[in-house]
Amino acid sequence: MMVKAFSAEWADAFKDEVNKSTAYKAAGKGWKWTVGLVVEAEPDKHFAESRGIVMDLFDGEARDIKVGPAADAQKCDFVITAPYSRWKQVATKELDATKGMLQGKLKLKGDLPTIVRYTKASQEMTECTTRIPVEWPDEATS
Amino acid sequence: MARRSDKLKPEPKKEGLVDYADDEPSAFASMLGGLIEANVESRIEKRKDFSTLVARVGIWVNDIDEGVTLDFKGRGGWLTVHNGLVPNRTLTIRTDAETVMSLSNLKIGVFGLPIYYDEVGRGVAAKLLSGKLKIDGLLPNVMTLNAVTRIFSVQ
Repeated sequence: MMVKAFSAEWADAFKDEVNKSTAYKAAGKGWKWTVGLVVEAEPDKHFAESRGIVMDLFDGEARDIKVGPAADAQKCDFVITAPYSRWKQVATKELDATKGMLQGKLKLKGDLPTIVRYTKASQEMTECTTRIPVEWPDEATS
Repeated sequence: MARRSDKLKPEPKKEGLVDYADDEPSAFASMLGGLIEANVESRIEKRKDFSTLVARVGIWVNDIDEGVTLDFKGRGGWLTVHNGLVPNRTLTIRTDAETVMSLSNLKIGVFGLPIYYDEVGRGVAAKLLSGKLKIDGLLPNVMTLNAVTRIFSVQ
């Protein structure tokens, strides 16, 4: 079933995908920090307001993933920020998240050695987003 | 005599252990500089290498077409990060973004040597053998590469 990009339904689907992933379960062992994704508004792409995705990840499990205001995501231990269209590129495999971070297309805030230690886990999380059938606002027909 | 003692004086540091040669460091330069600074600040075992290492190490990432030069200056621990590759490098590592991340995930074993027999290490060794990881200047500078790996490793 298609879900609207970065909606509450998308967050539920994302959480399910993460918890289904045996690769994430292994790679995320020992992780105990919150991660916030800030999706910046792009009104010309029909994404009018910035949103925040707050991910409560613990030891290879997604305990909770919620969509709310960007300010909530900015309070997390690790924050990754990018405009809507960049996140869309990540979710559609047009942009590799690791490359995106090295190029500054995705801006990362948080302890770098920790996030680098969990590169495999973050790559698998990215893979999980690509498995969700998404209705993109800039592609909506009606 | 005066000239000699001047030479021994450390250059004034700007701030912290790492500074940037360019007014606008690239995202890659900021990330590597930030990674090394955080590593050295939080891990006492990395400080000895960092404080004594004198080497210019280039890292070129083929799939993003970007690179940096890490200019380790010794002098008690000081690194200048340049955008792109600058001349007179001791070592130059050329590989893809994923392998750069793998290099920073190499575990360090006994005698401070990187471990190449676990999953990450085998992956790095395979890239080296297949030519997907190239290290210019490796043979005369193996010890330098090991020191850089120890500083760079987050494991």
